[in-house]
Amino acid sequence: MKQIALYGKGGIGKSTTSANLSAALSEQGLDVLQIGCDPKRDSTRMLMQGKLIPTVMDLVRERGDRNVCLDEVVYRGYHGVRCVEAGGPEPGVGCAGRGIIATFQILEKLGALAADVVVYDVLGDVVCGGFAMPMREGYAEEVYLVTSGELMSLYAANNICKAISRLSSRARSRCRLAGVICNAKSLPREEELVAEFSQKIGSSMIQFIPRDQVVQQAELNRKTVVQYAPTSDQACIYRLLAQKIMENRRMDIPTPLEIGDLEELAYGYST
Amino acid sequence: MAIPPDDGCTLTGALSVTTEIDGCLTLIHGPAGCTHHNFSLLHALHTARDRITHFSLISTDMTEQEVIFGGEQLLEETLRRALSRHPELVCVLSTCVAATIGDDVDAICNLPYEAPVVHIPTGGFLGGGFLAGHIQALNSLSFFADESEKTLSVNLVGEKTLEYEVCEHYQEILRILLRIGVPVNVRFICASSFSDIQNLGKASLNILRDPSMVPLGISLKRELGIPFIESFPLGLEGTIRFMERVGEFFSLDVTAAVSEEEALQKEMVRVFSSLKGKRITFNTNPLTDMHPPYGYELADMLDLEIHDQGNPVPVPDPFPVGTNGIRRLLHRWRRRCHA
Repeated sequence: MKQIALYGKGGIGKSTTSANLSAALSEQGLDVLQIGCDPKRDSTRMLMQGKLIPTVMDLVRERGDRNVCLDEVVYRGYHGVRCVEAGGPEPGVGCAGRGIIATFQILEKLGALAADVVVYDVLGDVVCGGFAMPMREGYAEEVYLVTSGELMSLYAANNICKAISRLSSRARSRCRLAGVICNAKSLPREEELVAEFSQKIGSSMIQFIPRDQVVQQAELNRKTVVQYAPTSDQACIYRLLAQKIMENRRMDIPTPLEIGDLEELAYGYST
Repeated sequence: MAIPPDDGCTLTGALSVTTEIDGCLTLIHGPAGCTHHNFSLLHALHTARDRITHFSLISTDMTEQEVIFGGEQLLEETLRRALSRHPELVCVLSTCVAATIGDDVDAICNLPYEAPVVHIPTGGFLGGGFLAGHIQALNSLSFFADESEKTLSVNLVGEKTLEYEVCEHYQEILRILLRIGVPVNVRFICASSFSDIQNLGKASLNILRDPSMVPLGISLKRELGIPFIESFPLGLEGTIRFMERVGEFFSLDVTAAVSEEEALQKEMVRVFSSLKGKRITFNTNPLTDMHPPYGYELADMLDLEIHDQGNPVPVPDPFPVGTNGIRRLLHRWRRRCHA
């Protein structure tokens, strides 16, 4: 079983990338489980043809954690990809991080965390211990950072490296950085910048995903690109990413950059 | 007197106040264990002093569900249920968990209810222990004090309701105050009622239990315009000084009362004259390492020799209040010295 997690700045395209990746993996004949770990609960929406599925936390809120069964939290989407949304509290109340921890405990108890590939799509910033949950306890063994060439996006990715390196220093931890995915914003020399960043943190850029209108069109049609435009270049890129991820053997403990070094790096590509 | 270290649970400190108010219901917003543990502790301490536990304590029984989704709704429901028992006052105490997830306990307490409801913030991890909770509770409750004319009276502020000789300390300071003609307005708070709290502002002077209550003394001075003396009377000389100080504050002639007290002390020393010349050593708590100034005063007065190999005699912390406190202590010293 391969367990991967996508982390990155909010709005960078983790959910789009995750959903297309899951779709592409399932087309390879793999049993894929995608788990959305964001209270916004929209990770699996495109796989579910635009439907917001009931979340684990919705069910817990309604009837407590003892009366939740597997069929109620796992939904089959495009090409049989199984989808789960953790969900969480209303914005501004309670503790969303604890919600993620509780979700994992419930999924574990229900025996839901089994598939050829499990894809965890996690909230933008690892704001607290709860959102590091997929990296702990041996859930996500391979972390992929999703970033563009924008400084703030690189900054967030660099921050997540800190969480990975901290967690991977623990004896029993199997969490490693598997690579960087560049979800481009069409900036000049963006591919080079992200590649150099990846190398500087002790990893590598596994895929460059160019900006393409088709992504927007697919989402407006409530589908992944892989489903909406299967023969498009963009769909091919997602399939290529899926293939590379399945073949990837690189597992690194990253060395996060100092903020000054990061700024200098980005500045070097700004002209 | 040294200020005791502030350790322990903030919640316990606040409960040592709220459970002393007649007709008050205390609601703890947190997991059931916070309430259970504290109830057991209070029950055990009260039982040890032959007191029957009769205070109302309710937990919101917060679970992981509330931690994730927020506990404000549960708090409001529990609060409304508690109010159906018609308490005179409800004190809502928050806990570490409620403070961590950021429940707006103030907002829930400020909704309109049929009885007064006050929030006492007691999230212990925010810093401060038992003492912080004790002071916080008194501070929060002091807002119920009405604007009122000052009278010739004092408040006793910050009595340690869980200490072993709390009643004896009170009786002694009451005796001393009445001897100089100053009545006690309110005990803030020990065996008090809600109307006592409302009458807090009628006193002209606050007498703090010990200097650890100074932060409260300062805020009561600011809010209610009542100055304070920082400690109950301790030691022989200290008791006389205390009488003079209170007398001076109220412009009372305390000469007769002081002479009488000095005679009482002299007589007491005579009663314990069998101790004269005994060798003693102070049996202080090595953890707090208290310097026993009152112990030296007594040794001097009774002509005792302080010697490493002497009979170990206690110098308790807190030190017993007033002349009669010393009388009780000397009984213990006499037993230790087999005199």
